Amino acid sequence: MNSTATVRKRRKQLSSYAVVLLALSLVGTLYTAFGAPEGQAQDAPANQSMAVKEGRELYLTGCSTCHGLNLEGGSGGPSLIGVGASSVVFQMESGRMPLAAGTQQAPRKPVKYEISEIDQIAAYIQANGGGPELPSADNADLADGDLQLGGALFRTNCASCHNFAGSGGALTYGKYAPELKSASARVIYAAMQSGPESMPRYGDNQLTPEEKRAITRYVRYLTQEADNPGGAGLGRYGPISEGLVAWVVGITALVGLTLWIGARA
Amino acid sequence: MSDNEPSIRERLASRPTDEANSGGDSRVSDVSASDFQQTHTDPSAPQEHLTGLQFAEPLGPPRELTPAESKSAERKVSALFLLSVVGVVGFVLVYAFGEETYDQPNNWLYTPLLGVFMALALFGVGAGAVLWAKLLMPHEEAVQERHDLASSAEERAATATALKEGLAQANLGRRPMLLGSLALGGGALALLPVPFLFGLGRFQNKEIKLGTTGWREGVRLIRQNGTPVRLGDLDVGAVESVFPDVDHGTKLADSPALLIRMSPEELRLEGEAAEWTYEGHVVYSSVCTHLGCPVKLYEQQTHNLFCPCHQSTFDAAHGAKVIFGPAARPLPQLAISVDEDGYFVAQGDFSEPTGPSYWERG
Repeated sequence: MNSTATVRKRRKQLSSYAVVLLALSLVGTLYTAFGAPEGQAQDAPANQSMAVKEGRELYLTGCSTCHGLNLEGGSGGPSLIGVGASSVVFQMESGRMPLAAGTQQAPRKPVKYEISEIDQIAAYIQANGGGPELPSADNADLADGDLQLGGALFRTNCASCHNFAGSGGALTYGKYAPELKSASARVIYAAMQSGPESMPRYGDNQLTPEEKRAITRYVRYLTQEADNPGGAGLGRYGPISEGLVAWVVGITALVGLTLWIGARA
Repeated sequence: MSDNEPSIRERLASRPTDEANSGGDSRVSDVSASDFQQTHTDPSAPQEHLTGLQFAEPLGPPRELTPAESKSAERKVSALFLLSVVGVVGFVLVYAFGEETYDQPNNWLYTPLLGVFMALALFGVGAGAVLWAKLLMPHEEAVQERHDLASSAEERAATATALKEGLAQANLGRRPMLLGSLALGGGALALLPVPFLFGLGRFQNKEIKLGTTGWREGVRLIRQNGTPVRLGDLDVGAVESVFPDVDHGTKLADSPALLIRMSPEELRLEGEAAEWTYEGHVVYSSVCTHLGCPVKLYEQQTHNLFCPCHQSTFDAAHGAKVIFGPAARPLPQLAISVDEDGYFVAQGDFSEPTGPSYWERG
């Protein structure tokens, strides 16, 4: 009795959801058919120019000292003409810009700006300098790719510097490839597009947007979701840390065991 | 054992044993001495050397277990064996049913559990066997006599006679053809390894294998997935791992290369090498000239190519010359051009043999 009542109740709930959904889609269809699309079409550039305007303010306050009033660069920083919005997203969302000190390589730092502010600055620099631009502002969309393809591409193109597990590694003269665990999908995608600092640049002819999405998906999977089958990842540096643990822990245990056996005999 | 010569044991026994018993762990010397006492058969051996020694029983007298004790020992051993069964069953169960949840974030126990059950299985059998031998097996000391290494005099004499008789019966003097053909066959056999010697010398390295790779004139540059690389695919500051478009091209160990694009004015190559590039595209072997590691860590601002194994650093803008590290030679360069369809092709093989240096490299 009780169970049939529950089933009936659930059915009722489901059907009410369905009705709401139908009604909503009907309204949506009607709106697209008869509503005023012109207003929307005008809205987007308006938003865009609004963002550019806001971005200009932020740029003049925070960035122009080094990069120049017209993105032309200066003694403190390079020109931003042609670097594109993706470079802004990479540098600012990973906290590398604004730069704290002139070092061999800009380190990752706590982020100084809101994501919305970063997008405004990016819009300003894109509008005035041009260059590569993220195909989407949405992290989930940028990481929406084929995991397996991403793995293959990652191992061919990225693993030599960033390590097969995304743990990063050393380069020449104090430079390094950073670990990828702290990078959001936007930052990963933007890095491939813009080729920041030492990193080679992967244009859309070399890695298509689909392939970049796949790589982004794989890196996020590798650094956030994949678990360590052995229990402890040991920094995922591979044989170095594993060998150290094997020697220190394993040999100590063996020596202890040997001493114990010797003491008992 | 031969009767004419004293055996090693007898000779050992006739040795003065004073120094053997003068100090240290008396049990060690006692074991050999008591062995000697049990097996010694020669009455002429000097017995007096052994007098005055205190023989301790090495393992103690085998004590009969009471029925209760024996029952308890039996139970312990069986329990350990059963533990092993539990381990095996647990391992199989975890393996069979744990795998389904492998992708779940909460199955971090999967591998540790496999390990624990496998350890239980091995420990149970091993510990049970040790305990069985220690508690339930009868204790007895056994000495196994070693025979002399040499055969007895009679056997040796008999063998010698048989050999001599065989030689006499073979009538070699009267069968010259047999001898001749045997010598010929033996000589031919000795010649058999000679061709292999040619593989060791400088004959082998001329123009084959080590000196050449899969690259030839007109061979396209392909990616690892087999697609050819086209002019314009790479932005300035980009790199691409490329392989020759020949059979098994991506598997040839000496052929992998790195296609680098920089702006043409950054590329400063001298002489002939400048003509091996195409609009700022340059290709170097990605096999390190030190010990053959893959050199694919490219810094697009400094144009440094970096080998992760021993930190050899090459300057890609200056013909991949060595600027740091143990590598002795620059990375060989591959001359490239573009075919009529716009794809990159090789103009020929690498400028010199790829990979680590070797003898006879020339």
